[in-house]
Amino acid sequence: MVKLKPGIFDIEDLENVKIEIKEIMGEKMPEEEWAPMGPTPKPKIPDLRYWDRILLKRYPPFYAPQCDTCILCTMGKCDLTGNKRGACGISLEAMQGRIVLLACLAGCSAHAAHGRHMLHDIEHMKGELDKIPIDFGTEINVEAPLTRLITGIKPKTVADLKEVFSYIEENIVQLGDALHTGQEGSALDFESKAYQMGMLDSLGKEAADIAQIAAFNFPIGPDRPLLDVGMGTLDTNKAVILVIGHNAPPATNICDYIQDHNLEDEVDIGGVCCTALDSSRYSTIVKLASSLGRQLRVIRAGLVDCIVVDEQCIRADIIEQAQKVGTPVIFANDKKMHNLEIRDGDDPDEIVKDLVSGNVPGVVLLDPLNVGEVAVKVAQQIKPIRRKKGWILSDEEFKKQVEACTNCGNCTIACPNGIRIGDGHKLAAEGDSSLLASQFDICIGCGRCEQVCPQNIPIVSTMIKAAWPLIQEEKGKIRQARGPIFDTEIRTVGAPLVLGTIPGIIAPIGCGNYPNGTKDVYTIAKEFGDRGYIVCLTGCMLIDTGLYKDEDGKTLFETHPDVFDKGGIINVGSCVSNAHIHDAAIKVANIFAQRNIRGNYAEIADYILNRVGACGVAWGAMSQKAASIAAGFNRLGVPAVVGPHSIKYRRSFLGRKDKEEDWYVYDARNGERVYVGPVPEHLLVVAETIEECIPLTAKLCMRAADTPAGRSIKLTHYIDLNQKYLGDYPDDWHLFVRSEADLPIAKRTELLQKLEAEQGWKIDWKSKKIVEGPKVYYNPSFDPTNIKDLIRTKKE
Amino acid sequence: MAELKMLPFDAGNIPGPKMGRVTAPKIIGKMIKRAKKPLLICGSNIEEHGSIDKAIEIGKKGIPIAASGNAIVAFRNKGYMDNVKYVLLNDLANCLRDPEWKGLDGKGNYDTVIFIGSLYYLTSGILASLKNFVPHIKALAIDPYYQPNADMTFGDIWRKKDEYLAMLDEVIGEL
Ligand code: SF4
Ligand code: SF4
Ligand code: SF4
Repeated sequence: MVKLKPGIFDIEDLENVKIEIKEIMGEKMPEEEWAPMGPTPKPKIPDLRYWDRILLKRYPPFYAPQCDTCILCTMGKCDLTGNKRGACGISLEAMQGRIVLLACLAGCSAHAAHGRHMLHDIEHMKGELDKIPIDFGTEINVEAPLTRLITGIKPKTVADLKEVFSYIEENIVQLGDALHTGQEGSALDFESKAYQMGMLDSLGKEAADIAQIAAFNFPIGPDRPLLDVGMGTLDTNKAVILVIGHNAPPATNICDYIQDHNLEDEVDIGGVCCTALDSSRYSTIVKLASSLGRQLRVIRAGLVDCIVVDEQCIRADIIEQAQKVGTPVIFANDKKMHNLEIRDGDDPDEIVKDLVSGNVPGVVLLDPLNVGEVAVKVAQQIKPIRRKKGWILSDEEFKKQVEACTNCGNCTIACPNGIRIGDGHKLAAEGDSSLLASQFDICIGCGRCEQVCPQNIPIVSTMIKAAWPLIQEEKGKIRQARGPIFDTEIRTVGAPLVLGTIPGIIAPIGCGNYPNGTKDVYTIAKEFGDRGYIVCLTGCMLIDTGLYKDEDGKTLFETHPDVFDKGGIINVGSCVSNAHIHDAAIKVANIFAQRNIRGNYAEIADYILNRVGACGVAWGAMSQKAASIAAGFNRLGVPAVVGPHSIKYRRSFLGRKDKEEDWYVYDARNGERVYVGPVPEHLLVVAETIEECIPLTAKLCMRAADTPAGRSIKLTHYIDLNQKYLGDYPDDWHLFVRSEADLPIAKRTELLQKLEAEQGWKIDWKSKKIVEGPKVYYNPSFDPTNIKDLIRTKKE
Repeated sequence: MAELKMLPFDAGNIPGPKMGRVTAPKIIGKMIKRAKKPLLICGSNIEEHGSIDKAIEIGKKGIPIAASGNAIVAFRNKGYMDNVKYVLLNDLANCLRDPEWKGLDGKGNYDTVIFIGSLYYLTSGILASLKNFVPHIKALAIDPYYQPNADMTFGDIWRKKDEYLAMLDEVIGEL
């Protein structure tokens, strides 16, 4: 290598010279001026605090402690009940905020570290990052809305994402610092920090997903092919490999190995959770065996010959569980190594031998390029050995086990869903397994019951046996993940969304810790898809939605269009892909409303809060990632409804519709303070049942800027869904009526009568107009904002 | 069996130094009777154990009912809607913590809330909030479970439906 001295060089006569400029030292290369920089590029902790305070004033945190003590430092344990402060001076309320921030720290770190890890893998597998363009074709100009919005960077190659991750990593450390004893003491500032963490989380997800789309050529856009989903789709005539986790590069290497060696007829690959979703974007040979809720059951049913895990949401006792059914495990990520040997340098055949012979229960292979060969060979060689044994309980064994049950109830007390397993066993002992079989779906597969059974009954296995006929028939369909929403789709739906004629974007996302089984997620998606909402699914809720079929044997992905448009039910992708749902809302502001998004977070969040009727539904939210995802959605002005187990996150953000003073905004045209009603009423709210969740979600799609046509449609759905699921009108529907134009024409007379009789509003019956009553402001050119600085002409 | 009775239905649900007192039904009944403004909060499991009929009996004694989740449907099916209102439990609890809240009847906040038909873990979280941040309200739990975050609670009796219903009758007897 020749080092050049500073100066001017004449290189005209040189031949075969390749000059590479990696980075310009000293001064950085100025970025192309693609848009004026907004006020908060790469915001630090205090920069968006003013926006957080606007949100937290309207939606203050509601805390439900899961533990009334603290033992984070050695001055504890501190009893924080009854307004007592800890030895460090912290209150129980602030302590809840602290725990929430801690959860968001873990969640955000998981996404960001996954993204950073992937950059390393991509460099290793695909070559230099600056040679991999971020170019998603002619349908997408705004390639990375969150990145542009938060950092002000317009990434051109995957290498540009390094700077994005550096920004995230520095800020995670700063926020993590605030968790130390003797730092933050205010619950509200902990929440502002949790919002900051949530925002970083959204950014990390986006960067991770666009990196993998660009590097692995994941297909994007509508009309994706259908994929198999469900435990029944695994073909045990072949050797079966199961991939579990979230970081797909090792799984892509398995796909390559199978396809390069034409082994599709001999080896089946299925997946659990997001690795399944992401590797199926790489190759459609991957089946989606199950969501997280079935992880233990897929393993314990003995369907799998080799398990490959990467990171996040994988059972910590995976070796012990896999050992029960003779399945070796390959650990392909340094976040999770279970005290096993790292075998990357070894001869693959030696590793295979060790795993097949049972010399070792598992190995660590950190180079994704080493995983495919070992996994495939292990699965192929162990298959004949494993097939000699039956892993599902025999009829006699099952009978023996269920008859041993004394119905003592220990398992029920251990069970997160309080399942009456003893009753199921009792009936099964009498020859009727139907109750036990039905409990299979309500079970979240945690395995706690087994550990407390005094009779040592393998409850997970008895349930699998009872449900085995159903499991074999569990064969659904979902679309392959589509990733980002096209700019062209946003142009089509921008106006209907902001005007309300498409009543909202519903985002069922997150994990499988449901209160009452997987069918609920299908019901939620179907209800909103049928009503013309755009339903954007990601993660485990997505996988479970595909399990159910209508009378014609069709899943929702076959009956509803695969487009981001009215009535579409789409697979956006894995957990990191749900950044594209944030992105869709940002693009509405950018492409449809022509707002500058560069480094302009608060203005865009304010736009979304007041105009874009989007609402998340995380019915089975379980992980810390789900906590940071929700915080990221909330800070961007998108509310979310969570299932009842989510009370254990300890915090929700609730508005008070009875406090009129909370619902004033500015009209940006003139600075007038106007009452807009409770829209959206809550930012993060726990629902108890889906009958409650569904109308509530519809309600949370109403926005201050809804046009009368849009509001009447949203109101119709809200009332209708209340009647359908709760049997009556909601008691607050009048709060959303600004004038008679907000009332659906078909029901106008009936609704006016109710307003007159129940609310004492004055109606002019000749013209069917409301003369007196509604308090809510609306004007066709109304420009609502919660941010004073966005007022254009201040009132004197 | 007092010890057994303090067993939470979620075995790990041990919140800390302040745990709900297992209380005899008669005393709970007297507490409700003495309350200036009680509210019976019925959850989505109200049809389990036959609790709904007992809740209606309590309602008939003049105690207003808040029905959360889909419990309102159960009351409507029973033809009893006299003093029953739908609530979202998370939202209701948020209002309860404000002493200035006007209540479901517009006449002010409550001084005693009684939980029945609860989704156990959800209500446990809500009770933790009331216990720690809402000193102006007494929270009682009359489900067949031990609720560690309630001020006063029934013990662990879910395996014995008849005994449980008899306990509810004792409560009602005091009203
Ligand atoms: S961090 Fe504070 S509250 Fe927690 S144990 Fe230490 S002194 Fe106690
Ligand atoms: S713990 Fe065991 S014996 Fe007791 S009810 Fe459950 S399965 Fe039966
Ligand atoms: S494995 Fe299933 S049945 Fe057993 S405790 Fe967990 S959720 Fe309940």
